[in-house]
Amino acid sequence: MTGVVVFIAVMGFTLERSRLTWPEKFVNDAFGAVQGLLYRPVAAIAAFAADIGRLSDIHEENVKLRQTLAQYAQDQIRYNFIEAENKRLKEALDFSERQKRLYDYRLLIAQVVGSSSNAFDRTIKINLGSRDGIKPKMAVTTIDGLVGLISHVSEFTSTVEPITALDAGSPQGIQVAATIFGREQESFGIIDAYDPATGLLQMTKIDENDTLGPGDVVITSGLGNVFPRGIVIGTVESRQVGDFGLTQKATVVPAAKFDHLQEVFVVIVPDVDGP
Amino acid sequence: MNHAVLAGILFVILENGLVPWLIPPAWSDRLLPHLTFVLTVYVASFAGRHPAFLYGLGFGLLGDVLYYGDLIGAYGFGMALVGYLAGLVQERGQPTMASIIGLTAAGSLALNAVVYLIYRLFRLTTWSYGFSFYWFMAPSFLLEMLIALALYVPVRRWLLKASAPARDEAVS
Repeated sequence: MTGVVVFIAVMGFTLERSRLTWPEKFVNDAFGAVQGLLYRPVAAIAAFAADIGRLSDIHEENVKLRQTLAQYAQDQIRYNFIEAENKRLKEALDFSERQKRLYDYRLLIAQVVGSSSNAFDRTIKINLGSRDGIKPKMAVTTIDGLVGLISHVSEFTSTVEPITALDAGSPQGIQVAATIFGREQESFGIIDAYDPATGLLQMTKIDENDTLGPGDVVITSGLGNVFPRGIVIGTVESRQVGDFGLTQKATVVPAAKFDHLQEVFVVIVPDVDGP
Repeated sequence: MNHAVLAGILFVILENGLVPWLIPPAWSDRLLPHLTFVLTVYVASFAGRHPAFLYGLGFGLLGDVLYYGDLIGAYGFGMALVGYLAGLVQERGQPTMASIIGLTAAGSLALNAVVYLIYRLFRLTTWSYGFSFYWFMAPSFLLEMLIALALYVPVRRWLLKASAPARDEAVS
């Protein structure tokens, strides 16, 4: 009986907490280090096997990549012009140093060292910690798109909560403010749930007059200051009338995959919390 | 017992480092075997209910702390409870292969039900029990039964042989 009471207390106490005590950090770091020794070679072997399987697609992929590269070269020139102009305008308008650095994101590469076997809580562990400047609530992405956000940090490792854990009914639900790539100012919606059976994310609170439709690329909007802006989330699959009829909702195919991960990037947002 | 603890630590690492890579991507959300839980059933069968309680508590909490997402303690509580109950059942007679496999199956369902109820209690999941059962509990429990079957011979050979002389000394 006492045990039940103690456990309920522990669970309640650990429910909304992002800092770890030193025994937790120690256990995390010790196991993280050992586990990395196993996970990474296994991952490398698995990736090698997958590469051999894909060998026949290489040519096709190469053609596609070359086209993309050509496109990039053009975009780079355009980008440089726009960036220079943007900088000049910001200076002309007397932007503060904080405002100028607001979107100066840095990407840190991290190796995945393990993944959870708890079905309700599919966290993954990466080998970067507070020593490397990782803080809770930082966004984690792969090359494909948004994976999740950092939930707990110890010295050398941290835990990543995937966006598949999004749950509209949960009290501590994270909600991702999202918009459409190419129409960042016009579209808005909130990604707030994931359906494991279909593997689709749900985007709600879309305005009736919004032009969003199937095939559009959904990215983070940066509003709400939890996620940095401009990270790909997925592609819109379909759109329906929302639960209350006032707003609409859409289903989104996530761009990133959440299992068999090897390398992820942590997006470091410049520290601009101060006034 | 020391060997069992060492094997447990090894299994924690395997469970989160190797097993995810062995499971095909389409099933990675659905096949989630808990290797340390299978070992807890073995500890309950051969060492009794009190060691199994501590073993389940320890490794359950370890798993909770390592992959801390929403709360700590769901698996610690569930594995301690199931380990104790499994020990209670096994003390009624000599543990056989059938009883161990049966207990792994029943225990796996009980453990998942306990964890589900805890997540439901704190409103951390909105899945229905039927969906969770179909989605991951049933596949995982079948896999855990197979793992228990595969572990039967190694456990008898390594863990029991290692502890047998110690028991003889204690008797004499």
